[in-house]
Amino acid sequence: MFVRFVKFLIRWIERLVLLAALILLGAWLFYIGREHQIFLDNRTNEDFRALSQVNVSINGGEVSELTSRERDVKKIVGPKFTIKAEIFDERGEIAKTVEREIKLCPLSKDIMINLPTLAAESENFILAAPR
Amino acid sequence: MRKLFDIIAGNAVPAIFIIISAFAIPLSGYSASYLIQELLTRIGRNSFLILSLLIPIMAGMGLNFGMVLGAMAGQIGLLFVSDWGVVGIPGMVLAMLLGTPIAIILGIFCGNILNRAKGREMVTSYILGFFINGVYQLFVLYLMGWVIPVTNPSLLLSRGYGVRNAVSLLGIRGVLDNLIPTIVAGADRAKNFINMQGSGTFMALQIPCFDGEVRIPLATFLLIALFCVFIIWFRKTKLGQDMRAIGQDQSVADSAGIAVNRTRVIAIVISTVLACIGQVIYLQNMGTLNTYNSHDQTGMFSIAALLIGGASVSKASITNVFVGVILFHLMFIVAPVAGKNLIGDAQIGEYFRVFVSYGIIAIALVLHAWKRNREAEASRRSLRGNSNANREGE
Repeated sequence: MFVRFVKFLIRWIERLVLLAALILLGAWLFYIGREHQIFLDNRTNEDFRALSQVNVSINGGEVSELTSRERDVKKIVGPKFTIKAEIFDERGEIAKTVEREIKLCPLSKDIMINLPTLAAESENFILAAPR
Repeated sequence: MRKLFDIIAGNAVPAIFIIISAFAIPLSGYSASYLIQELLTRIGRNSFLILSLLIPIMAGMGLNFGMVLGAMAGQIGLLFVSDWGVVGIPGMVLAMLLGTPIAIILGIFCGNILNRAKGREMVTSYILGFFINGVYQLFVLYLMGWVIPVTNPSLLLSRGYGVRNAVSLLGIRGVLDNLIPTIVAGADRAKNFINMQGSGTFMALQIPCFDGEVRIPLATFLLIALFCVFIIWFRKTKLGQDMRAIGQDQSVADSAGIAVNRTRVIAIVISTVLACIGQVIYLQNMGTLNTYNSHDQTGMFSIAALLIGGASVSKASITNVFVGVILFHLMFIVAPVAGKNLIGDAQIGEYFRVFVSYGIIAIALVLHAWKRNREAEASRRSLRGNSNANREGE
């Protein structure tokens, strides 16, 4: 009787472990495979003025050229990405290069990056995505 | 003479298709590389679904029309993945993972119903497919977006709930097919391909005299090969042997202590889960999910292909699957164009293909019933013969 109970218990524990492993696998797939939209915003905000020209690339991909008051959108897959922004001065020469690695919250879908704030190396450059 | 007749009767269906294809291929005017490319794509797309039919046949449950239940489960998984925006291989695997528990539940339900309709499994599973389709439509058309949260507005109908008829699967389109880019081409085309791929993982096979270019969905084929190995292994396991015993004679298997009903339910559950995975593979190749129709024809197409490959209701092998998928889809590709070139109207070719393909299902089922009756009659005669001989002996 006891042996049968132990066998029954072991079988259920095995099933629960398998179920937990599958749930964890699902969560991991969700985490690494989620596509996010990154809105690039080069507009004046309360603290910083729009940049005259900025070239932005994400994960070393295609470069977006944004002039003052322009916006663009990029898609990335996975929980983290690297953004590289080259800020140009009035003469058209690179005045500053900013590179940051950004980690996203697993449940957040899209974000907006305010480029003037990023260029000023201030912390609050991640904003909620426009709806 | 009788043996020759049996061989002809056993392979009549593939033979008819080979003859028709032999006439239709030159009439279509398609190049060899185009035909091979189309066939390879379709083999990759459909084989997994057709292979999922083998296990219920092994267990003597006939052709599992209830595989559409698994297809629906896979589609629900894909809808969730599309809503959450999970893309690539993780998205495809997650869709399979989400569809699997639904497929298991539907498989248990289907298996238990089929146990109450022994001997009429095919028609029961066919009608069950319609019933679950109603439940699926209730789920997708009313509950999604209303009870079940859907965050992606592009998935929903304008009224705010219910999923749209066509859902783009751009995020997972061809992810498995293109996982290991492989090409068989002439020297120039192969060099272009190598330059395009750069430093990634890929395979390129150069054939000097070959002018065309054939892309091979290698990862999909590897998955299908793995599944074939699984089926071969499964046949040798205790459960596989039990299923074969049940397939041969249920009452004998029952007397031998095999849990017949439980084993039959397991066969249907395995088939439904594999159909769920097969549907996800099929739709990643297509790149579009037709929410209310994609699963509808899955069962019919897979069963038609299997029968065309020379399988019957009671016997099917891996060879039948591949012969069937090649012949059935060869007709799909060449028949409309052959009809257009022959008569000037593509519709004629298409009508002919539909007529022949589904006529074949009817012929295969009639042949099976006729053969079964003949075998039953022969065994009755042999019993009478034995009893007569015994009486004469007395």
